[in-house]
Amino acid sequence: MEPNLNTGLVRNTLILAKFELKKLLFNPKGLVALTAFALVWMLILLYPIRGASDILLSADFRQLIAGIFGESLVDRLFQWQVAEMAIFWIAALYLFPLFSIFVSADQFASDKSRGSFRFLILRTGRDSLFFGRFIGHMLIQSLLLMLTVAATILLALSREPSLLLPALGSGLMVFINIFIILLPYTALMALLSLYANSARQATIYAILLWAVSAIVIAIVNTQLPAIGELLSWILPGAQLSMMINTQGISSLIYAPIPLIQAGVLLFLGRSYMIRSSL
Amino acid sequence: MSLIKCENLSKSYGSKLALDSVTLELKPGAPIALVGPNGAGKTTLFSLLCGYLLPSHGKVTIMGEKPGSRKLLGRVSSLPQDASLDPNLNLITQFTLFGTLQGLTKSQAKAEGLRVLSLVGLSDVVKQKPTALSHGMSKRACIAQALIGSPQLVLLDEPTAGLDPVNAKVVRELVKSLSSNITFVISSHNLDELEKLCDQVLYLDKGKLGQSVSMQENLLDEYLTISMQECDHQALISRVEALTGINSVTLKQENEFLIHYAASEIKNIEVQLFTLFACHGWRYKSILKGRTLEDKLFS
Repeated sequence: MEPNLNTGLVRNTLILAKFELKKLLFNPKGLVALTAFALVWMLILLYPIRGASDILLSADFRQLIAGIFGESLVDRLFQWQVAEMAIFWIAALYLFPLFSIFVSADQFASDKSRGSFRFLILRTGRDSLFFGRFIGHMLIQSLLLMLTVAATILLALSREPSLLLPALGSGLMVFINIFIILLPYTALMALLSLYANSARQATIYAILLWAVSAIVIAIVNTQLPAIGELLSWILPGAQLSMMINTQGISSLIYAPIPLIQAGVLLFLGRSYMIRSSL
Repeated sequence: MSLIKCENLSKSYGSKLALDSVTLELKPGAPIALVGPNGAGKTTLFSLLCGYLLPSHGKVTIMGEKPGSRKLLGRVSSLPQDASLDPNLNLITQFTLFGTLQGLTKSQAKAEGLRVLSLVGLSDVVKQKPTALSHGMSKRACIAQALIGSPQLVLLDEPTAGLDPVNAKVVRELVKSLSSNITFVISSHNLDELEKLCDQVLYLDKGKLGQSVSMQENLLDEYLTISMQECDHQALISRVEALTGINSVTLKQENEFLIHYAASEIKNIEVQLFTLFACHGWRYKSILKGRTLEDKLFS
């Protein structure tokens, strides 16, 4: 049987990306991970988000949030038209990056250690493999994100059906913002999982990286505040605390930070992939 | 054009030199064997040819292209040593992915996956995951993946290691039947197998390419290797040496003799030997024109 030699970079990248999604949806292990994710979000949706309107109106809650993040950082949070989406926004801002570290920790590690890459690399280029897996893991996270946003919209509508349009609008903006935030996390995990021998090792490397970087930045900050300030923007998630007090299109003002971080990390990951032994 | 060309190819792992200035040029055609002791650098050479590793020094090209280059995708395939298929996905799912990456449509890729799995006798386990397969079945599945599409060069690293005799024979016959369209390079410790399959044999030791032996040249060699059933060793050696044109007769292994003769002085050596055997009631097991591969490489 003659192949049609249509082994283009884009075609193979998309095949590999779709295959990653298929692995999650049609594989018992993937389904277990999906169920665990759904259960965690079900608890978040059922308790804090469902009671969002009451919570946001509660003076105690306002005091608590202001105490954690500072009054000036959270004043806009109480102006969201759909209260459920406001609570979802806070939870998603911090939880999705955390999920991202675990969900995308095995982009390459297991395949590399068991040698399965060797079956793929003679059929597709290293670029396709690298970007295919990265896009695949972004697709997986997009699916999870989309499901949680949809569930939040449904919760809001169950309370007040007239919130349909504002809920859809803010849901879309939350989706776009969180998606952009996840890009550098996934790119960083792509790089770390290329270096690690297992998903667990990649996760440990990620924790070490954040811990060591935070210490180094703190030390640099005390000695050379200008450089410390600059270094604090290097790590993915540097802008998260500032994003709490934004909503809708105005949140996109921070988008260049994760986009640049993702670009640099993808460049580093791709360079490592091209030069590494498989 | 040469199929494989290596110029001063070296590969180091830290301070250990695994491959030392290997220079060789191989043409497409009959299967080529790569032999050598453990740690000789065979797998490293295979990995460089497949593009899994980058050379420390020197140059390697396959069909004029650098290993791993886009133009070679789907044209070169391999059975890598110690690589295993994804344990979470069944065989046909993985083979369909491999086929689609090689440019086939999904249905073509599935049909191609079923075809190559049937070639190695695994038609009935296509929906099984690799974890449900025995070591031999996994090995055959890995060989099958190397045959997807229309590869021009297939590198097999120890293809029959761990296979039972029946399946080892199936693999040998498969290689033989496909070798008119595909050039196989086979690394193995089984010299008898390589002798049956390959024409050219490359010997690698301590990272250096030693000798290159051609099995076709055996026909021009002035040697015969004879395996006997029970016989008097000393009597056989003295009687054969007494024939005109025989330079020497050496006992190589139990009941195996190497006869060195001068072709210009003895015309019908086989007839004379059979006559001698008949006279003394000696029965032979096999007679080989030339020397065994083991004898050529290690004597």
